[in-house]
Amino acid sequence: MTRTARTRGRLRRRIDAWWQARSPRTDSLLLTQRNVYILPTRAGLMFCFTLIVLLIASINYQLNLGYLLTFLLTGSGIVSMHMTHGALRGLTLHLRPVSAVFAGDTARLEAVLSSPDTARYGVGLRVQDSDATTLSYTDVPAGGQALLHLGFITTRRGQQAVPTLNAETRFPLGLFRAWAVWRPAMTLTVYPQPEHPTSPLPPARFVPGGQVHARATHSGEFEGVRGYRRGDPLKSVAWRQSAKAMAGGGELVSRDSSTRNQPQLWLDWQSCGNGGPEGRLSRLTAWIIEAERRDAAWGLSLPGREISIGQGDAHRRLGLETLALWSS
Amino acid sequence: MNAPRLHWPGWAHLPRETRDTLFLLVVIGWTVLPHLWHLPPWCAVLTGIVLLWRARLALIGAALPGRWLLIGVLMMAAGLTFWSYRSLLGKEPGVTMAIALMALKTMELRARRDAFVVFFLGFFLILTQFLYSQSLLIAAAMLVSTWGLLTSLVLAHMPAGMPSLRQAAGLAGKTALLGAPLMVLLFILFPRIGPLWGVPQDGLSGTGLSNVMSMGTVAALAQDDSIALRIRFEGPPPAPQDVYFRGPVLGHFDGRDWTPLKPSFPEPLRPGAELRVEGTPLRYEMTLEPMRVSVIPMLEASPATPAIDGVRVALRDDLQWVTERPLSERIRFNGVAYKRFRHGPQQPMIGLQDYIDLPPGHNPRTLAWAAELRRDPRYAGADGATLAQVLMNHIRSEGYGYTLTPGLYGETDSRTAIDEFWLDRKLGFCEHYAAAFVVVMRALDVPARVVTGYQGLDPTPVDGYRIVRQSYAHAWAEYWQAGVGWVRADPTSAVAPDRVLRSRPLVAPPGLMAGALNSVNPEILASLRDGWEAMNNRWNQWVLSYSRGSQFDLLQRIGFSAPGWEDLAMLLIGAFGVLTLAGAAWAWWDRHHTDPWVRQLDRLRAELERMDIRAAAHEPPRTLAQRVRGQLGESGEPLAAVLDRIDEQRYGRGGATHPEKRLTRDFLTLADRLRRHPGNTPTGSGTR
Repeated sequence: MTRTARTRGRLRRRIDAWWQARSPRTDSLLLTQRNVYILPTRAGLMFCFTLIVLLIASINYQLNLGYLLTFLLTGSGIVSMHMTHGALRGLTLHLRPVSAVFAGDTARLEAVLSSPDTARYGVGLRVQDSDATTLSYTDVPAGGQALLHLGFITTRRGQQAVPTLNAETRFPLGLFRAWAVWRPAMTLTVYPQPEHPTSPLPPARFVPGGQVHARATHSGEFEGVRGYRRGDPLKSVAWRQSAKAMAGGGELVSRDSSTRNQPQLWLDWQSCGNGGPEGRLSRLTAWIIEAERRDAAWGLSLPGREISIGQGDAHRRLGLETLALWSS
Repeated sequence: MNAPRLHWPGWAHLPRETRDTLFLLVVIGWTVLPHLWHLPPWCAVLTGIVLLWRARLALIGAALPGRWLLIGVLMMAAGLTFWSYRSLLGKEPGVTMAIALMALKTMELRARRDAFVVFFLGFFLILTQFLYSQSLLIAAAMLVSTWGLLTSLVLAHMPAGMPSLRQAAGLAGKTALLGAPLMVLLFILFPRIGPLWGVPQDGLSGTGLSNVMSMGTVAALAQDDSIALRIRFEGPPPAPQDVYFRGPVLGHFDGRDWTPLKPSFPEPLRPGAELRVEGTPLRYEMTLEPMRVSVIPMLEASPATPAIDGVRVALRDDLQWVTERPLSERIRFNGVAYKRFRHGPQQPMIGLQDYIDLPPGHNPRTLAWAAELRRDPRYAGADGATLAQVLMNHIRSEGYGYTLTPGLYGETDSRTAIDEFWLDRKLGFCEHYAAAFVVVMRALDVPARVVTGYQGLDPTPVDGYRIVRQSYAHAWAEYWQAGVGWVRADPTSAVAPDRVLRSRPLVAPPGLMAGALNSVNPEILASLRDGWEAMNNRWNQWVLSYSRGSQFDLLQRIGFSAPGWEDLAMLLIGAFGVLTLAGAAWAWWDRHHTDPWVRQLDRLRAELERMDIRAAAHEPPRTLAQRVRGQLGESGEPLAAVLDRIDEQRYGRGGATHPEKRLTRDFLTLADRLRRHPGNTPTGSGTR
């Protein structure tokens, strides 16, 4: 009993290993004889049945033209098998970097299909285990590239592998379906799902030693500029001064927010109410979005992890990623 | 009130789906079109309405009708089919229903599965055309249909963007063209077997010789310019007046119709065929179009049973070659004919009585006329030949006329039809003359019968073949002469020698269309017709008459001594095996086929790796050379030099298309030496 179970387990592992070896994870897949599969479709079987009917009619009525028709269709069918396979063979699939999404949102994949030689028609891609059975189709020009957009709905937060994709075609006659399985190596960061509706932001608080006063609204007055630093939000760029500076060979200029009066928030795990960890993460996510929307500087405090006060896209990304990957 | 307005924006400006649907409708319409001639009118009207309606729905983008309406229309079509044919089974009702179904199915193009049903039904409809005609024209029209359907199929599988019809048609054509060699292979080698089960005989329509002759049947044939048979002679062809193709022999007359005789005497008392031939044989090859009767019109007189594949031919007592069933396919056979022949019993026998039977109460005036002739002392005791001559002279001298439109005889009283012709109006054509001649001969107690068939040939050979048309159909007479047997007498030749002598076919009054055409330029028209018929003949010889016999001939020519269908099957399987292996070999080659430069570089790198010099796949030979220099120093110089030369050969000015084998070899030898004597400067390279 245990022995058979062990044998079965070993067998499964071996099959899995074989399968993994056959289709290693890669962001750029060249379709070859080895990884393109082909089988007749239901329509192909119907076609076969039609051919048999035509053949019997030709035999019974001794119609030489009937034979010709039957065999012409047979020949076309067999050729179409090779054409279907050839529509995928030689194609290179390449996945563009995927941007992070919130859980529950649709992650957008961009796949580039390039054909080194002939034009390919009716090549479709889909996410293998998704509910949506429809494929997104494209034609690939001879020696050129085509871009396909795919989407799949993310369910849980974290660093995730891009799901297995299927490339498929039935061109030209639909009698055969050729497909390939593509396991991209790329991973995707899924942020926690923001709480909806957003609960009110925690009250701003003074930071010890900070010279910044929390206010619900900021003055909007221009108070000082400094050189642009990576991560400064676009809306903090002082465009007029930047234009002047760049005309003189300088670079972008940002408003110096440290001298501004801004709300400064601590988004704290402890102040998220009594929900479970996922609920708290959701709330923190919503708060980060909200704080950024309000142009407020914020810091994040999680058990065992703290992000200091900051602002801007890079800061936001850091915060959301921390939430996405957080585990107690 | 506000019905959506139809307007035609042009093919290129239609929405994709509308355009594809309209294209498919056009293809379906084209496929069904040739059927309209042999379908009941309601079916044509129904199909037309449904297809147009569907086109309108596609153009205005309206919803398809509900399923119940369609089922209702289908039931109606089934009812009308039954009303037209009194049956739902058989060829005609089947084709009618298939067409109605096809038209209605276009109303149901919802899912991909529906579309496939339409495509496959379309292929089936194409085949049904061949039940009616396998002519070159129909073949061309149906080739267009097949192409159209394949184009539609391709369009359905190009879901992205808006591919043009031309592009889809090109791809469909490419598929079919690539498949054509397979088609030819299968066509040549697929074993031809007989019908799997009995085919309903209604497949044989059209005109042709018949087993019943009544007044007017041959005239119907005279209108028919289609080809009955083709014949090719070895040696010079006989004179047209000698060319008689012997078809059904009609020995029984019921007063209205002539039919084959059913002998009323037992076997030993019947006159046999007893064909005796002499003189030089005339060999010929005949291609016979499908016949309505189970009689093979052999050239008179052919003593040998024709060998026709899959058909048993037997000789009847009245010297006709009959088959078990009417020949629904075109056949080709070789025969030998003798111009001089005699047949039938030489001595009187009781069975000959059947041939002087006349229906009582018919044509009393003709009988009286014959009796009067009989009483003429000049002909007392005259034999058949003399009496026949008397009748011929009578026809020649008594103002008889030859016309294809003599009007109807026996209209007032069908029992006096011959009377009217022989004694009153004296206008008619071959069948009138043959019938009257036989009736008079029988009235004179001479056994006689009507023979039908074809007489004459087209004067000019086309592609080596002489053509015999349905309009060459003819009827003549035979009477029995003691000591000789049956003798042919052609009373038509007495009244219209042209008909027999120059084999001018019966000329029907031209129809409106033909008249207009003929007035253009008869010579151009004739040459056009000849070219067309030559092409048609090739088509018939190469495609339509390709049969089991041709297959066996082919096998024999390539070395099979006693070919059978098993050999064909083996050959076919073998051919497919070879093709499959070739495909597999190609796939293998394709997988292993890499750029020779890449292959060379792989080899260089592998060799260097054995000397612990590692390099990445993308590095060119000159980088390898640098590594060799860096790692081996002075001792590696010759190796590095070879690598530089390889690099130069590949990337230098006037770079070669293929790597030079000698350089690779040099590299391998040097590397081998270096591996065996590391650190030593190899001999041969010398020190500088």
